[in-house]
Amino acid sequence: VDNPTDRRVLVLLDDLSLKSSHSIFFNTLKSRGFDLDFKLAEDSKLALQRYGQYLYDGLIIFAPSTERFGGSLDSKSIADFVDSGRDLILSADTAASDLIRGIATECGVDFDEDSSAMVIDHTSFSVSDVDGDHTLIAADDLVKSDVILGKTKIEAPVLFRGVAHSLNPTNNLVLKVLSASPSAYSANPSSKLSSPPQLTGSSISLVSVMQARNNARVVISGSVQLFSDRLIRSGVQKAGSPNQYEKSGNEQFVTELSKWVFHERGHLKAGNLVHHRVGETDEPAIYRIKDDLEFSVEIYEWSGKSWEPYVANDVQVQFYMMSPYVLKTLSTDKKGLFHTSFKVPDVYGVFQFKVEYEKLGYTTLSLSKQIPVRPYRHNEYERFIPTAYPYYGACFTTMAGFFVFSFVYLYHK
Amino acid sequence: MVKSTSKDAQDLFHSLHSAYTATPTNLKIIDLYVCFAVFTALIQVAYMALVGSFPFNSFLSGVLSCIGTAVLAVCLRIQVNKENKEFKDLAPERAFADFVLCNLVLHLVIINFLG
Repeated sequence: VDNPTDRRVLVLLDDLSLKSSHSIFFNTLKSRGFDLDFKLAEDSKLALQRYGQYLYDGLIIFAPSTERFGGSLDSKSIADFVDSGRDLILSADTAASDLIRGIATECGVDFDEDSSAMVIDHTSFSVSDVDGDHTLIAADDLVKSDVILGKTKIEAPVLFRGVAHSLNPTNNLVLKVLSASPSAYSANPSSKLSSPPQLTGSSISLVSVMQARNNARVVISGSVQLFSDRLIRSGVQKAGSPNQYEKSGNEQFVTELSKWVFHERGHLKAGNLVHHRVGETDEPAIYRIKDDLEFSVEIYEWSGKSWEPYVANDVQVQFYMMSPYVLKTLSTDKKGLFHTSFKVPDVYGVFQFKVEYEKLGYTTLSLSKQIPVRPYRHNEYERFIPTAYPYYGACFTTMAGFFVFSFVYLYHK
Repeated sequence: MVKSTSKDAQDLFHSLHSAYTATPTNLKIIDLYVCFAVFTALIQVAYMALVGSFPFNSFLSGVLSCIGTAVLAVCLRIQVNKENKEFKDLAPERAFADFVLCNLVLHLVIINFLG
Protein backbone atom coordinates (compact mmCIF):
# COMPACT_ATOMS: atom_id res chain seq x y z
CA VAL A 1 0.00 0.00 0.00
CA ASP A 2 1.49 3.30 -1.01
CA ASN A 3 1.47 5.62 1.95
CA PRO A 4 2.54 9.22 1.45
CA THR A 5 2.75 9.96 5.19
CA ASP A 6 6.25 10.24 6.59
CA ARG A 7 7.24 7.61 9.12
CA ARG A 8 10.81 8.17 10.18
CA VAL A 9 11.56 11.67 11.44
CA LEU A 10 14.90 13.05 12.57
CA VAL A 11 14.65 15.69 15.27
CA LEU A 12 17.67 17.95 15.63
CA LEU A 13 17.91 19.82 18.92
CA ASP A 14 20.55 22.22 20.18
CA ASP A 15 19.78 21.15 23.74
CA LEU A 16 18.36 17.78 24.77
CA SER A 17 16.20 19.49 27.40
CA LEU A 18 13.92 20.53 24.51
CA LYS A 19 12.86 16.89 24.38
CA SER A 20 11.08 17.30 27.70
CA SER A 21 10.13 20.95 27.40
CA HIS A 22 8.38 20.24 24.06
CA SER A 23 7.12 16.77 25.05
CA ILE A 24 3.45 17.41 24.22
CA PHE A 25 4.26 18.15 20.57
CA PHE A 26 6.63 15.20 20.25
CA ASN A 27 4.19 12.86 21.99
CA THR A 28 1.35 13.75 19.63
CA LEU A 29 3.67 12.87 16.76
CA LYS A 30 4.63 9.56 18.40
CA SER A 31 1.00 8.72 19.13
CA ARG A 32 0.24 9.18 15.44
CA GLY A 33 2.82 6.55 14.62
CA PHE A 34 5.89 8.61 13.83
CA ASP A 35 9.27 7.18 14.64
CA LEU A 36 11.19 10.10 16.15
CA ASP A 37 14.96 10.01 16.29
CA PHE A 38 16.29 12.72 18.61
CA LYS A 39 19.81 13.92 17.94
CA LEU A 40 21.90 16.84 19.08
CA ALA A 41 22.56 19.17 16.18
CA GLU A 42 26.29 18.98 16.91
CA ASP A 43 26.29 15.17 16.97
CA SER A 44 29.29 14.13 14.92
CA LYS A 45 27.51 11.02 13.61
CA LEU A 46 24.69 12.95 11.97
CA ALA A 47 23.74 11.71 8.51
CA LEU A 48 20.58 11.90 6.45
CA GLN A 49 21.71 9.27 3.99
CA ARG A 50 23.47 5.98 4.15
CA TYR A 51 24.66 4.21 0.98
CA GLY A 52 22.65 6.73 -1.09
CA GLN A 53 19.41 5.89 0.71
CA TYR A 54 17.66 8.44 2.91
CA LEU A 55 17.32 7.26 6.49
CA TYR A 56 14.45 9.64 7.24
CA ASP A 57 11.25 10.90 5.60
CA GLY A 58 11.02 14.06 7.64
CA LEU A 59 13.26 16.45 9.50
CA ILE A 60 12.51 18.72 12.45
CA ILE A 61 15.15 21.33 13.24
CA PHE A 62 14.66 22.90 16.66
CA ALA A 63 18.21 24.17 16.89
CA PRO A 64 18.09 27.93 16.29
CA SER A 65 21.51 28.72 17.70
CA THR A 66 23.48 25.98 15.92
CA GLU A 67 26.25 27.48 13.79
CA ARG A 68 27.34 24.17 12.27
CA PHE A 69 25.71 20.77 12.18
CA GLY A 70 27.76 17.77 13.13
CA GLY A 71 28.58 14.93 10.80
CA SER A 72 27.88 15.28 7.10
CA LEU A 73 24.92 17.63 7.52
CA ASP A 74 25.00 21.14 6.10
CA SER A 75 22.55 23.53 4.49
CA LYS A 76 23.11 21.98 1.07
CA SER A 77 22.33 18.47 2.23
CA ILE A 78 19.14 19.79 3.84
CA ALA A 79 18.18 21.49 0.56
CA ASP A 80 18.86 18.17 -1.21
CA PHE A 81 16.67 16.43 1.38
CA VAL A 82 13.77 18.76 0.47
CA ASP A 83 14.55 18.43 -3.23
CA SER A 84 14.09 14.68 -2.88
CA GLY A 85 10.47 15.32 -1.85
CA ARG A 86 10.93 15.01 1.90
CA ASP A 87 9.53 17.33 4.52
CA LEU A 88 11.02 19.80 6.95
CA ILE A 89 9.96 21.75 10.03
CA LEU A 90 12.43 24.54 10.66
CA SER A 91 12.20 26.73 13.70
CA ALA A 92 14.30 29.79 14.34
CA ASP A 93 14.33 32.05 17.34
CA THR A 94 15.94 35.29 18.39
CA ALA A 95 19.64 35.19 17.68
CA ALA A 96 19.15 32.53 15.02
CA SER A 97 22.41 31.42 13.47
CA ASP A 98 23.42 32.15 9.88
CA LEU A 99 23.06 28.44 9.14
CA ILE A 100 19.36 28.44 10.09
CA ARG A 101 18.80 31.75 8.24
CA GLY A 102 20.49 30.28 5.18
CA ILE A 103 18.20 27.24 5.14
CA ALA A 104 15.17 29.52 5.56
CA THR A 105 16.36 31.71 2.66
CA GLU A 106 16.56 28.60 0.49
CA CYS A 107 12.89 28.06 1.27
CA GLY A 108 11.88 31.62 0.31
CA VAL A 109 11.74 33.11 3.78
CA ASP A 110 13.96 35.93 5.13
CA PHE A 111 14.37 36.37 8.88
CA ASP A 112 14.95 39.85 10.29
CA GLU A 113 18.64 40.62 9.81
CA ASP A 114 18.92 42.19 13.26
CA SER A 115 19.80 39.19 15.43
CA SER A 116 18.45 40.79 18.61
CA ALA A 117 15.09 41.72 17.08
CA MET A 118 11.82 40.15 18.20
CA VAL A 119 8.23 40.62 17.15
CA ILE A 120 6.69 43.31 19.36
CA ASP A 121 3.01 44.17 19.35
CA HIS A 122 1.58 46.74 21.74
CA THR A 123 -2.04 45.90 20.94
CA SER A 124 -2.20 42.15 20.27
CA PHE A 125 0.03 40.94 23.10
CA SER A 126 -1.06 38.31 25.61
CA VAL A 127 -2.07 39.65 29.02
CA SER A 128 -0.04 36.87 30.62
CA ASP A 129 3.11 38.53 29.27
CA VAL A 130 4.77 39.21 32.60
CA ASP A 131 7.87 40.94 31.28
CA GLY A 132 5.78 43.83 30.01
CA ASP A 133 7.77 44.19 26.78
CA HIS A 134 4.82 42.89 24.71
CA THR A 135 6.85 40.20 22.94
CA LEU A 136 4.43 37.37 23.81
CA ILE A 137 2.09 37.78 20.87
CA ALA A 138 -1.48 36.44 20.86
CA ALA A 139 -1.87 35.93 17.13
CA ASP A 140 -5.13 34.98 15.49
CA ASP A 141 -4.57 35.93 11.86
CA LEU A 142 -4.52 32.39 10.44
CA VAL A 143 -4.65 31.35 6.82
CA LYS A 144 -8.17 30.30 5.83
CA SER A 145 -7.46 26.82 4.61
CA ASP A 146 -9.17 23.70 5.94
CA VAL A 147 -6.55 21.50 4.38
CA ILE A 148 -3.58 23.16 6.09
CA LEU A 149 -5.13 23.85 9.51
CA GLY A 150 -7.89 21.26 9.70
CA LYS A 151 -11.65 21.54 9.54
CA THR A 152 -12.07 22.57 13.18
CA LYS A 153 -11.60 26.29 13.59
CA ILE A 154 -8.82 27.31 15.96
CA GLU A 155 -10.75 29.50 18.44
CA ALA A 156 -8.07 30.57 20.90
CA PRO A 157 -5.23 32.85 19.77
CA VAL A 158 -1.84 31.26 19.16
CA LEU A 159 0.93 32.37 21.51
CA PHE A 160 4.18 33.32 19.81
CA ARG A 161 7.46 34.71 21.07
CA GLY A 162 10.23 34.93 18.55
CA VAL A 163 11.68 36.48 15.46
CA ALA A 164 9.86 37.99 12.51
CA HIS A 165 10.30 36.90 8.91
CA SER A 166 9.06 38.09 5.56
CA LEU A 167 8.32 36.14 2.43
CA ASN A 168 10.47 36.47 -0.64
CA PRO A 169 8.08 38.16 -3.10
CA THR A 170 9.60 36.30 -6.06
CA ASN A 171 8.81 32.93 -4.49
CA ASN A 172 5.20 32.00 -5.18
CA LEU A 173 5.36 28.64 -3.44
CA VAL A 174 5.60 30.05 0.08
CA LEU A 175 2.69 31.50 2.04
CA LYS A 176 1.92 32.88 5.49
CA VAL A 177 0.02 30.60 7.81
CA LEU A 178 0.17 32.79 10.90
CA SER A 179 0.56 36.53 10.29
CA ALA A 180 1.25 39.29 12.76
CA SER A 181 -1.37 41.98 13.39
CA PRO A 182 -1.08 45.34 11.57
CA SER A 183 0.32 46.93 14.74
CA ALA A 184 3.26 44.53 15.07
CA TYR A 185 6.87 45.41 14.32
CA SER A 186 10.22 43.78 14.60
CA ALA A 187 12.82 45.39 16.88
CA ASN A 188 15.08 44.79 19.86
CA PRO A 189 12.70 44.99 22.86
CA SER A 190 15.41 46.01 25.32
CA SER A 191 16.73 49.07 23.50
CA LYS A 192 15.16 52.28 22.35
CA LEU A 193 14.13 52.45 18.65
CA SER A 194 16.57 54.76 16.88
CA SER A 195 15.35 54.15 13.33
CA PRO A 196 12.03 52.88 11.89
CA PRO A 197 11.82 49.07 12.04
CA GLN A 198 12.39 47.24 8.76
CA LEU A 199 9.56 44.76 9.18
CA THR A 200 6.18 46.08 10.27
CA GLY A 201 2.52 45.17 10.31
CA SER A 202 0.90 42.21 8.66
CA SER A 203 3.76 41.81 6.20
CA ILE A 204 5.45 40.10 9.15
CA SER A 205 4.95 36.38 9.02
CA LEU A 206 5.18 34.39 12.23
CA VAL A 207 4.76 30.92 10.69
CA SER A 208 5.00 30.18 6.98
CA VAL A 209 4.68 27.08 4.86
CA MET A 210 6.17 26.21 1.52
CA GLN A 211 5.15 23.40 -0.80
CA ALA A 212 7.80 22.77 -3.41
CA ARG A 213 7.05 21.72 -6.99
CA ASN A 214 7.86 18.13 -6.06
CA ASN A 215 5.24 18.35 -3.26
CA ALA A 216 7.86 18.45 -0.50
CA ARG A 217 6.46 20.48 2.38
CA VAL A 218 8.28 22.89 4.67
CA VAL A 219 7.08 24.72 7.79
CA ILE A 220 9.13 27.68 8.95
CA SER A 221 8.42 29.15 12.33
CA GLY A 222 10.01 32.19 13.92
CA SER A 223 9.64 30.65 17.35
CA VAL A 224 10.67 27.36 18.93
CA GLN A 225 8.60 28.28 21.99
CA LEU A 226 5.45 28.07 19.86
CA PHE A 227 5.78 24.28 20.10
CA SER A 228 6.66 24.24 23.81
CA ASP A 229 4.61 22.63 26.57
CA ARG A 230 4.60 25.93 28.46
CA LEU A 231 2.83 27.88 25.70
CA ILE A 232 0.60 24.90 24.78
CA ARG A 233 -0.64 24.60 28.38
CA SER A 234 -0.82 28.33 28.97
CA GLY A 235 -4.16 30.10 29.10
CA VAL A 236 -4.53 33.03 26.81
CA GLN A 237 -6.29 36.37 26.81
CA LYS A 238 -5.55 38.85 24.10
CA ALA A 239 -5.03 42.39 25.39
CA GLY A 240 -8.21 44.42 25.08
CA SER A 241 -10.34 41.37 24.39
CA PRO A 242 -12.93 40.03 26.87
CA ASN A 243 -12.46 36.44 25.65
CA GLN A 244 -10.42 34.36 28.04
CA TYR A 245 -9.31 30.90 26.99
CA GLU A 246 -8.24 28.10 29.33
CA LYS A 247 -5.77 26.88 26.77
CA SER A 248 -3.99 28.62 23.95
CA GLY A 249 -4.55 27.60 20.33
CA ASN A 250 -0.97 26.37 20.09
CA GLU A 251 -1.65 22.66 20.56
CA GLN A 252 -4.31 22.52 17.87
CA PHE A 253 -2.23 24.76 15.61
CA VAL A 254 1.01 22.74 15.80
CA THR A 255 -0.83 19.40 15.65
CA GLU A 256 -2.82 20.31 12.56
CA LEU A 257 0.18 21.94 10.92
CA SER A 258 2.32 18.83 11.55
CA LYS A 259 -0.43 16.66 10.03
CA TRP A 260 -0.25 18.79 6.90
CA VAL A 261 3.54 18.99 6.67
CA PHE A 262 4.01 15.23 7.09
CA HIS A 263 1.39 14.48 4.41
CA GLU A 264 -1.33 13.14 6.66
CA ARG A 265 -3.68 15.53 4.91
CA GLY A 266 -3.99 17.29 1.59
CA HIS A 267 -2.16 14.66 -0.42
CA LEU A 268 -3.85 13.78 -3.69
CA LYS A 269 -3.15 11.04 -6.14
CA ALA A 270 -4.65 10.75 -9.58
CA GLY A 271 -4.66 7.98 -12.07
CA ASN A 272 -6.69 5.80 -14.37
CA LEU A 273 -6.96 8.51 -16.99
CA VAL A 274 -9.50 7.06 -19.43
CA HIS A 275 -10.99 8.41 -22.65
CA HIS A 276 -13.09 6.88 -25.38
CA ARG A 277 -15.70 7.78 -27.98
CA VAL A 278 -19.26 8.18 -26.76
CA GLY A 279 -20.93 4.76 -26.89
CA GLU A 280 -17.66 2.84 -26.97
CA THR A 281 -15.50 1.51 -24.16
CA ASP A 282 -12.09 0.99 -25.75
CA GLU A 283 -9.55 3.76 -25.95
CA PRO A 284 -8.95 4.59 -29.63
CA ALA A 285 -5.46 5.10 -31.02
CA ILE A 286 -6.61 8.22 -32.86
CA TYR A 287 -9.60 10.55 -32.86
CA ARG A 288 -11.25 12.22 -35.82
CA ILE A 289 -12.17 15.91 -35.72
CA LYS A 290 -15.66 16.51 -34.32
CA ASP A 291 -15.75 13.12 -32.59
CA ASP A 292 -17.74 13.10 -29.35
CA LEU A 293 -15.62 11.67 -26.56
CA GLU A 294 -15.89 10.88 -22.88
CA PHE A 295 -13.04 11.56 -20.48
CA SER A 296 -12.58 10.44 -16.91
CA VAL A 297 -9.87 10.44 -14.27
CA GLU A 298 -9.81 9.15 -10.73
CA ILE A 299 -8.55 11.33 -7.88
CA TYR A 300 -8.14 10.17 -4.30
CA GLU A 301 -7.12 12.01 -1.18
CA TRP A 302 -4.97 10.51 1.55
CA SER A 303 -6.77 10.76 4.91
CA GLY A 304 -3.79 9.65 6.99
CA LYS A 305 -5.03 6.05 7.06
CA SER A 306 -6.56 5.30 3.69
CA TRP A 307 -7.22 6.74 0.27
CA GLU A 308 -10.61 8.44 0.26
CA PRO A 309 -12.45 9.74 -2.81
CA TYR A 310 -11.60 13.36 -3.46
CA VAL A 311 -14.62 15.62 -3.84
CA ALA A 312 -14.26 18.98 -5.57
CA ASN A 313 -16.01 20.93 -8.30
CA ASP A 314 -12.98 22.72 -9.69
CA VAL A 315 -10.95 19.99 -11.42
CA GLN A 316 -10.50 20.79 -15.08
CA VAL A 317 -9.24 18.94 -18.12
CA GLN A 318 -7.54 20.61 -21.06
CA PHE A 319 -7.51 19.30 -24.60
CA TYR A 320 -4.21 20.83 -25.42
CA MET A 321 -2.04 21.48 -28.46
CA MET A 322 0.30 24.43 -27.81
CA SER A 323 -2.69 26.02 -26.04
CA PRO A 324 -5.88 24.55 -24.63
CA TYR A 325 -8.53 24.14 -27.34
CA VAL A 326 -11.02 22.72 -24.85
CA LEU A 327 -11.09 23.52 -21.13
CA LYS A 328 -13.80 21.69 -19.23
CA THR A 329 -14.63 21.42 -15.57
CA LEU A 330 -15.06 17.80 -14.54
CA SER A 331 -18.06 16.63 -12.60
CA THR A 332 -17.59 14.05 -9.89
CA ASP A 333 -19.63 11.05 -8.79
CA LYS A 334 -18.27 11.61 -5.23
CA LYS A 335 -16.59 8.19 -5.42
CA GLY A 336 -13.35 9.57 -6.79
CA LEU A 337 -14.29 9.47 -10.46
CA PHE A 338 -14.20 12.78 -12.34
CA HIS A 339 -15.71 12.74 -15.80
CA THR A 340 -16.89 14.91 -18.65
CA SER A 341 -17.63 14.64 -22.33
CA PHE A 342 -16.88 17.03 -25.16
CA LYS A 343 -16.51 17.29 -28.90
CA VAL A 344 -13.04 17.16 -30.45
CA PRO A 345 -12.37 20.59 -32.01
CA ASP A 346 -12.33 21.08 -35.78
CA VAL A 347 -8.50 21.10 -35.77
CA TYR A 348 -6.25 18.14 -36.42
CA GLY A 349 -2.81 17.48 -34.95
CA VAL A 350 -1.27 15.86 -31.91
CA PHE A 351 -3.26 16.78 -28.81
CA GLN A 352 -2.87 16.02 -25.12
CA PHE A 353 -5.39 15.44 -22.38
CA LYS A 354 -4.02 17.49 -19.50
CA VAL A 355 -5.10 17.67 -15.89
CA GLU A 356 -3.19 20.38 -14.04
CA TYR A 357 -4.56 20.81 -10.56
CA GLU A 358 -3.03 23.28 -8.14
CA LYS A 359 -5.03 24.11 -5.07
CA LEU A 360 -3.89 25.82 -1.89
CA GLY A 361 -2.63 23.23 0.57
CA TYR A 362 -3.08 20.25 -1.73
CA THR A 363 -0.32 18.48 -3.57
CA THR A 364 -0.07 19.46 -7.21
CA LEU A 365 -1.49 17.07 -9.77
CA SER A 366 -0.08 17.05 -13.26
CA LEU A 367 -1.17 14.37 -15.70
CA SER A 368 -1.14 14.25 -19.44
CA LYS A 369 -1.82 11.74 -22.16
CA GLN A 370 -1.07 12.22 -25.83
CA ILE A 371 -3.59 11.51 -28.57
CA PRO A 372 -3.53 12.37 -32.28
CA VAL A 373 -6.54 13.84 -34.08
CA ARG A 374 -7.02 13.27 -37.84
CA PRO A 375 -9.22 15.08 -40.37
CA TYR A 376 -12.18 13.43 -42.11
CA ARG A 377 -11.29 10.65 -44.51
CA HIS A 378 -12.31 11.21 -48.10
CA ASN A 379 -15.30 8.90 -47.79
CA GLU A 380 -16.45 10.31 -44.46
CA TYR A 381 -17.93 13.47 -45.88
CA GLU A 382 -21.71 13.69 -46.07
CA ARG A 383 -23.22 12.77 -49.43
CA PHE A 384 -26.47 13.52 -51.27
CA ILE A 385 -27.39 16.43 -49.05
CA PRO A 386 -30.98 17.53 -49.84
CA THR A 387 -29.91 21.21 -49.82
CA ALA A 388 -27.48 20.49 -52.64
CA TYR A 389 -30.01 18.88 -55.02
CA PRO A 390 -30.49 22.11 -57.07
CA TYR A 391 -26.70 22.21 -57.62
CA TYR A 392 -26.66 18.56 -58.70
CA GLY A 393 -29.60 19.36 -60.98
CA ALA A 394 -27.78 22.34 -62.47
CA CYS A 395 -24.71 20.24 -63.25
CA PHE A 396 -26.70 17.55 -65.02
CA THR A 397 -28.84 20.15 -66.80
CA THR A 398 -25.70 21.78 -68.22
CA MET A 399 -24.48 18.38 -69.33
CA ALA A 400 -27.77 17.63 -71.01
CA GLY A 401 -27.71 21.14 -72.46
CA PHE A 402 -24.25 20.46 -73.88
CA PHE A 403 -25.52 17.26 -75.52
CA VAL A 404 -28.60 18.94 -77.00
CA PHE A 405 -26.53 21.92 -78.14
CA SER A 406 -24.00 19.71 -79.89
CA PHE A 407 -26.79 17.87 -81.65
CA VAL A 408 -28.58 21.02 -82.78
CA TYR A 409 -25.33 22.76 -83.75
CA LEU A 410 -24.17 19.88 -85.92
CA TYR A 411 -27.48 19.15 -87.67
CA HIS A 412 -29.16 22.55 -87.98
CA LYS A 413 -28.55 22.88 -91.74
CA MET B 1 -29.14 69.10 -76.05
CA VAL B 2 -31.37 66.76 -77.97
CA LYS B 3 -34.16 65.34 -75.91
CA SER B 4 -34.33 61.55 -75.99
CA THR B 5 -37.75 60.00 -76.50
CA SER B 6 -39.17 56.49 -76.53
CA LYS B 7 -38.98 56.77 -80.30
CA ASP B 8 -35.18 56.84 -80.04
CA ALA B 9 -35.17 53.73 -77.91
CA GLN B 10 -37.46 51.96 -80.36
CA ASP B 11 -35.20 52.95 -83.23
CA LEU B 12 -32.24 51.63 -81.31
CA PHE B 13 -33.89 48.28 -80.68
CA HIS B 14 -34.99 48.10 -84.33
CA SER B 15 -31.48 48.65 -85.60
CA LEU B 16 -30.10 46.15 -83.10
CA HIS B 17 -32.73 43.60 -84.08
CA SER B 18 -32.17 44.05 -87.83
CA ALA B 19 -28.42 43.80 -87.33
CA TYR B 20 -28.82 40.63 -85.28
CA THR B 21 -31.15 39.01 -87.80
CA ALA B 22 -28.25 39.09 -90.22
CA THR B 23 -26.18 36.94 -87.86
CA PRO B 24 -25.64 33.35 -89.10
CA THR B 25 -27.89 30.72 -87.49
CA ASN B 26 -25.05 28.72 -85.96
CA LEU B 27 -23.92 31.78 -83.96
CA LYS B 28 -27.50 32.35 -82.83
CA ILE B 29 -27.65 28.80 -81.50
CA ILE B 30 -24.45 29.42 -79.54
CA ASP B 31 -25.93 32.66 -78.15
CA LEU B 32 -29.00 30.81 -76.97
CA TYR B 33 -26.81 28.18 -75.32
CA VAL B 34 -24.78 30.89 -73.49
CA CYS B 35 -27.97 32.53 -72.27
CA PHE B 36 -29.19 29.19 -70.93
CA ALA B 37 -25.93 28.61 -69.03
CA VAL B 38 -25.81 32.11 -67.51
CA PHE B 39 -29.48 31.86 -66.52
CA THR B 40 -28.87 28.53 -64.73
CA ALA B 41 -25.90 30.06 -62.89
CA LEU B 42 -27.98 33.04 -61.75
CA ILE B 43 -30.70 30.74 -60.40
CA GLN B 44 -28.10 28.89 -58.32
CA VAL B 45 -26.62 32.09 -56.93
CA ALA B 46 -30.09 33.23 -55.89
CA TYR B 47 -30.74 29.81 -54.30
CA MET B 48 -27.46 29.99 -52.39
CA ALA B 49 -28.35 33.48 -51.09
CA LEU B 50 -31.60 31.92 -49.86
CA VAL B 51 -30.40 28.73 -48.12
CA GLY B 52 -26.79 29.60 -47.19
CA SER B 53 -23.43 28.49 -48.50
CA PHE B 54 -23.52 24.90 -47.17
CA PRO B 55 -22.54 22.66 -48.97
CA PHE B 56 -20.13 25.07 -50.55
CA ASN B 57 -18.32 22.59 -52.80
CA SER B 58 -21.61 21.55 -54.43
CA PHE B 59 -22.54 25.19 -54.97
CA LEU B 60 -19.13 25.92 -56.50
CA SER B 61 -19.30 22.98 -58.88
CA GLY B 62 -22.86 23.80 -59.90
CA VAL B 63 -22.11 27.43 -60.65
CA LEU B 64 -18.69 26.78 -62.17
CA SER B 65 -20.12 24.15 -64.52
CA CYS B 66 -22.48 26.82 -65.88
CA ILE B 67 -19.83 29.56 -66.05
CA GLY B 68 -17.34 27.15 -67.64
CA THR B 69 -19.90 26.05 -70.21
CA ALA B 70 -20.68 29.67 -71.05
CA VAL B 71 -16.99 30.59 -71.38
CA LEU B 72 -16.26 27.58 -73.63
CA ALA B 73 -19.29 28.40 -75.77
CA VAL B 74 -18.14 32.02 -76.17
CA CYS B 75 -14.69 30.73 -77.21
CA LEU B 76 -16.33 28.48 -79.79
CA ARG B 77 -18.35 31.45 -81.05
CA ILE B 78 -15.20 33.54 -81.53
CA GLN B 79 -13.48 30.73 -83.45
CA VAL B 80 -16.33 29.88 -85.79
CA ASN B 81 -17.30 33.48 -86.59
CA LYS B 82 -16.51 34.06 -90.30
CA GLU B 83 -15.97 37.81 -89.75
CA ASN B 84 -13.25 37.11 -87.22
CA LYS B 85 -10.08 37.26 -89.32
CA GLU B 86 -7.83 36.02 -86.54
CA PHE B 87 -9.14 32.43 -86.82
CA LYS B 88 -9.73 32.30 -90.59
CA ASP B 89 -7.15 29.49 -90.91
CA LEU B 90 -8.86 27.37 -88.25
CA ALA B 91 -11.45 24.93 -89.55
CA PRO B 92 -14.84 25.15 -87.78
CA GLU B 93 -14.78 21.37 -87.36
CA ARG B 94 -11.48 21.64 -85.48
CA ALA B 95 -12.93 24.41 -83.28
CA PHE B 96 -15.94 22.26 -82.44
CA ALA B 97 -13.73 19.26 -81.60
CA ASP B 98 -11.72 21.45 -79.19
CA PHE B 99 -14.97 22.66 -77.65
CA VAL B 100 -16.22 19.08 -77.07
CA LEU B 101 -12.90 17.98 -75.53
CA CYS B 102 -12.81 20.98 -73.16
CA ASN B 103 -16.40 20.31 -72.12
CA LEU B 104 -15.62 16.67 -71.35
CA VAL B 105 -12.69 17.69 -69.14
CA LEU B 106 -14.80 20.38 -67.44
CA HIS B 107 -17.61 18.01 -66.57
CA LEU B 108 -15.23 15.35 -65.37
CA VAL B 109 -13.80 17.85 -62.87
CA ILE B 110 -17.27 19.10 -61.90
CA ILE B 111 -18.57 15.61 -61.15
CA ASN B 112 -15.53 14.93 -58.96
CA PHE B 113 -16.03 18.12 -57.04
CA LEU B 114 -19.79 17.88 -56.77
CA GLY B 115 -20.26 15.56 -53.88
